Amino acid sequence: MSNPLQVYEPFRAGLPPLGRYWKSLWSRRTFVAEYSRSELREQHFDSVFGQMWLVLNPLLLSGVYFFLIIIISGSSDKTRYAHLTAALFLFYLVANSLTGGVKSVTAGQRLILNTAFPRIMLPLSAVVIAIFKFLPTMAVFLVMRTILGLPFDVEMLWAIPVLLIAILLALGLAIAISCVNVYFRDIASFLPYLTRTLLYLSPILYEAVDLKPKLKTIELFNPLFPLLDSWSRALVHGQVPLMSNLLISLAWAVGIFIIGTYFFLSREREFAVRL
Amino acid sequence: MLSASNTHKTNEIAVSVRNLGLTYTTAIDRRPTLKARAKALGRGSKQTRVIRALDQVNLDVEYGQVLGVIGTNGAGKSSLMRVIAGILPPTQGRVEVYGSVSTLLALGVGFNPSMSGRDNVYLGGLAAGMSRDEIDSHFEEIADFSELEDAIDAPMRTYSSGMFARLAFSVAATVRPDILIVDEALSTGDAKFKEKSLNRIKELRSDDRALILVSHAMATLRDVCNDVAWLHKGKLIQRGEPNKTIDAYQEFLQVGKSAAIDEDV
Repeated sequence: MSNPLQVYEPFRAGLPPLGRYWKSLWSRRTFVAEYSRSELREQHFDSVFGQMWLVLNPLLLSGVYFFLIIIISGSSDKTRYAHLTAALFLFYLVANSLTGGVKSVTAGQRLILNTAFPRIMLPLSAVVIAIFKFLPTMAVFLVMRTILGLPFDVEMLWAIPVLLIAILLALGLAIAISCVNVYFRDIASFLPYLTRTLLYLSPILYEAVDLKPKLKTIELFNPLFPLLDSWSRALVHGQVPLMSNLLISLAWAVGIFIIGTYFFLSREREFAVRL
Repeated sequence: MLSASNTHKTNEIAVSVRNLGLTYTTAIDRRPTLKARAKALGRGSKQTRVIRALDQVNLDVEYGQVLGVIGTNGAGKSSLMRVIAGILPPTQGRVEVYGSVSTLLALGVGFNPSMSGRDNVYLGGLAAGMSRDEIDSHFEEIADFSELEDAIDAPMRTYSSGMFARLAFSVAATVRPDILIVDEALSTGDAKFKEKSLNRIKELRSDDRALILVSHAMATLRDVCNDVAWLHKGKLIQRGEPNKTIDAYQEFLQVGKSAAIDEDV
């Protein structure tokens, strides 16, 4: 008799064998690509107007917030507008990963009940979709930056590692929240308040250096704070970000990713009975 | 990996289930919420319950066999199928599978109702571990068999339950795995499609394939199966010659209880 192709035995609490899990995930990478593609197509982002909306939406938002800043502080300049737009675009990458990720597992119910596959593919796809929505906004930003007449510097390349950290953070958050949503389905309804709070607590409508010393503590609890500051320094001001901020945001991202993934992987085998 | 990879000889073991037990905790609420949990805090009311779905099940399926699985609702039929397909890990015992399993059970496709039938077939197949080329090569046949015609490109939320089931069955029956599990898909669709799918099942019976059919359609099972297993409350009550097992089951349904089941409840 030949060896069994598959053996299913009781599992102990904790992680599944990671090597096998990774292999199975890697062999299904076309699923992630195909899923993101059809999801974007279904949201009409393959059409001209869909793409335009993708760019128009954050641009209009940044316009609205720009007026808000002028009214509240009484003055503003073009660097301020560039900062606002750049920060808002990166913020939406994280926020879209969260809103897309939160229901990714519960919406995949049929698939989970009937097919054996690494469940982490679902929040992963949500983040890939958010990245695809983010890319055109970057092009818009670079055009806008040119029109505003801000100089281009080599230091702007620091934005790339910052973006990679942001993606890791978005992934960790999406994985964690998609898993929490299986147990508490109303998390999705709290999410808009959470993202709105994060928006105001992050250096988007203001610059990190403008924060009153009294309020400095909010920096410590917001993983997006050092990240968005580094992003703006590199991309808008053309400076090298503070090493400490880069390291702190990397630590946040890695920490959230590891905790979220551990939580997800140790729970995913019971998703089928929880949906 | 889903399509038959190597040839199997008749009477070779396809699936071996040993002392299988499955116990799981699930939420009582269909939609558990933080709010409900917070409300229940002071009262100490329970939010979850433990379900004993399978208990000491021993079952071998050989190549060349067509096994029907019968039992009342909640007997553990679907749970058993999900364990064999690797969707649910067992709590006790061991399951060995010697071949590729079609995990496309009755409702495998159509997980995203806003996408078209075509997208759902591709996504379902990719999630099950098939390659794009593999799905490409089967797609024509799937679309033909389902008789959906243009509707294959319409969002699946516009499908009737019959169309849904037709597409699901077409996927399961077209991809030719070593071990095919069909869960309750036979009893859906109109009379014409029912007959068509029944004929397809008969075609699929071959010496190098194992079929497991979960169904409540006793006449069909008598017709196609060469072996029937009867589950009740997670236990294997009887296994053997189709007519004998089904007769016993039907007698049990009429009487309402049987000595064999009352023994150790």
